[in-house]
Amino acid sequence: MDFDQFPSMGREDLRDFKKGIDSGFRDFSREFGEAIEQFFDPLLWFLVRLEQLLQATPWPIIIIIVGVLAWLGSRSIKIVVGSVLSFFAIGYFGMWEDTMSTLAIISVSTLVCISVGIPTGVMMARSDRAQKVVTPILDIMQTIPAFVYLIPVVMLLGIGKVPGLIAVCIYAMPPVVRLTNLGIRLVEKEALEAADAFGASSTQRLFGVQIPLALPNIFAGVNQTIMMALSMVVIASMIGVAGLGVPVLRSISNQYLALGLMNGLAIVALAIIFDRVSQEYGSRLQKHRQGTQHD
Amino acid sequence: MSISKTFKKAAIGLTLLFGSNVAIAECGDVVLAEMNWASAGFMANVDKIILESGFGCKVSMVPGATMTTFASMNEKGQPDVAAELWTNAMREPLKLAFAEGSLHSANGQPITGLGEGWWIPPATAKKYPELKTVLDILERPDLFPDAEDPSKGAFIGCPAGWGCQLVNANLFRAFDMEKKGWKLVDPGSAAGLDGSMTKAVQRDNNWFGYYWSPTSMIGKHKMVKVPFGVPFGGADNWDGCIVKSEQDCANPKPSSWTKSVVQTVVTDKFKKQAGSDVMSYLGDRVYPGEVMNNMLVYMADNQAGGVDAAVEFLFTQEAIWTQWVSPDVANKIKKALN
Repeated sequence: MDFDQFPSMGREDLRDFKKGIDSGFRDFSREFGEAIEQFFDPLLWFLVRLEQLLQATPWPIIIIIVGVLAWLGSRSIKIVVGSVLSFFAIGYFGMWEDTMSTLAIISVSTLVCISVGIPTGVMMARSDRAQKVVTPILDIMQTIPAFVYLIPVVMLLGIGKVPGLIAVCIYAMPPVVRLTNLGIRLVEKEALEAADAFGASSTQRLFGVQIPLALPNIFAGVNQTIMMALSMVVIASMIGVAGLGVPVLRSISNQYLALGLMNGLAIVALAIIFDRVSQEYGSRLQKHRQGTQHD
Repeated sequence: MSISKTFKKAAIGLTLLFGSNVAIAECGDVVLAEMNWASAGFMANVDKIILESGFGCKVSMVPGATMTTFASMNEKGQPDVAAELWTNAMREPLKLAFAEGSLHSANGQPITGLGEGWWIPPATAKKYPELKTVLDILERPDLFPDAEDPSKGAFIGCPAGWGCQLVNANLFRAFDMEKKGWKLVDPGSAAGLDGSMTKAVQRDNNWFGYYWSPTSMIGKHKMVKVPFGVPFGGADNWDGCIVKSEQDCANPKPSSWTKSVVQTVVTDKFKKQAGSDVMSYLGDRVYPGEVMNNMLVYMADNQAGGVDAAVEFLFTQEAIWTQWVSPDVANKIKKALN
């Protein structure tokens, strides 16, 4: 036995193996690609319309909406002023349109992630077997390099918004799933026993007790999901998603220091606004809850 | 190919990769730019093997891209050699560097029969034989609908930041394509551009966009280059406008693509240090376009990297590369290979 060299598959076999997988995927894409694309058509329609809407809306209205949303979320005048000023700066430095595109894809990605992620998290919390199956999948989604799944996504769906959104969601969804699961599992036994004592059905127990008590955790997950979605903006631009990532890519290839910095900072500004507003909102939820507990 | 030969090749590849200690210090340390596309990676690896085992250089590689590598060579004098530099995008600063003597062209045409342009898949060309020129295609945006806005035709341009991005954007304006119902799609990256073309060819969809040859993509998919249907609009139009950013090019005129200039560019320091033998090797090293395309298809079919392809090339195409060097040097290389 020769232990110097690992008994590997051999170059030719390995090559055939890889080629086999590739051609298998090609056949799959030929067979089902069209259908899968059609499945995502409504999503694409929504993405395109939202982007057009954001770009067609006069800027003062957008800024007012940003201010109002920031106020509703945070109830902090500092955060409102900060958000409005960042948007003025973004517009002043000529990044308005790209920012609107980015906002559109990030909002829709977040919505998709939440609407898939929270039910998955609930399912994981209710079944240990589901947790055992889903956890490794989440690990893969978070750690596999984005470039690896960009290839099959592009082969299947081409370039543009929908593949971009899928790439974003693969990376950004795990936090909301994990924290929903955790939040529900952390709900105190006493609260559940009380609910059972009152004869709550399992649906009532879920929506009346578990989810409300887990809300601060779920909200932390949503917050993380938004932040991770924003960090994927540049990767999404590599497969043809318009937005702030495109100028960043352009500046990487050409060493445009200022262009890269400005657009990078615009992404940071968006992230900070989203983060502060949603964190404030989350902690207000928690305070509110603690207040009612003592009633 | 027998397994043992394959292993031998792999082993040689590894030795060459990690630097053979036979290096004689006459040529010194050399840094080659290994560009991020297949043909340039292959050429850089052939250069590495030949410079190392034929001329005794100590070669290291750095990854590169057209604009970044040129900027680095121009400003910092590193890396020493860019084997396949597409110089259309940087004609003015390159001219300046040549005049100053800080950079030199070692080879004005390292690959024959290459070029950039606008391409369609073979299936499209067969199905619509009336689409003979770009002008014909521009009348039919309905055949190439954009996924996000099907009322428009999608023209897949160049990824953000590539030199050709400006050219495509300006030609897009020159041919008045927006008014004709077209949309310029930024594929975002090389992966995006390749992916969109591959997807279209595999599904027998129509596709219209920018690409260049020699590449395995063009060879593998047998893409058809579409003549523009207008003559070259003159150097003033091209160099003074089309290759510049939009604000520096107010009135681009329609034009066919300029003849692509690919050069092997070396730094002044390298030219002095490497000596005339090495420079004459680089000057004689011309890959026939067909051979290059075959190598690229070999790389794609076998998912081989630049090192594997270089070893394969040196093994199988002896008749070509032995003409680039003196018999003495050729023997040294053959010895190293075996």
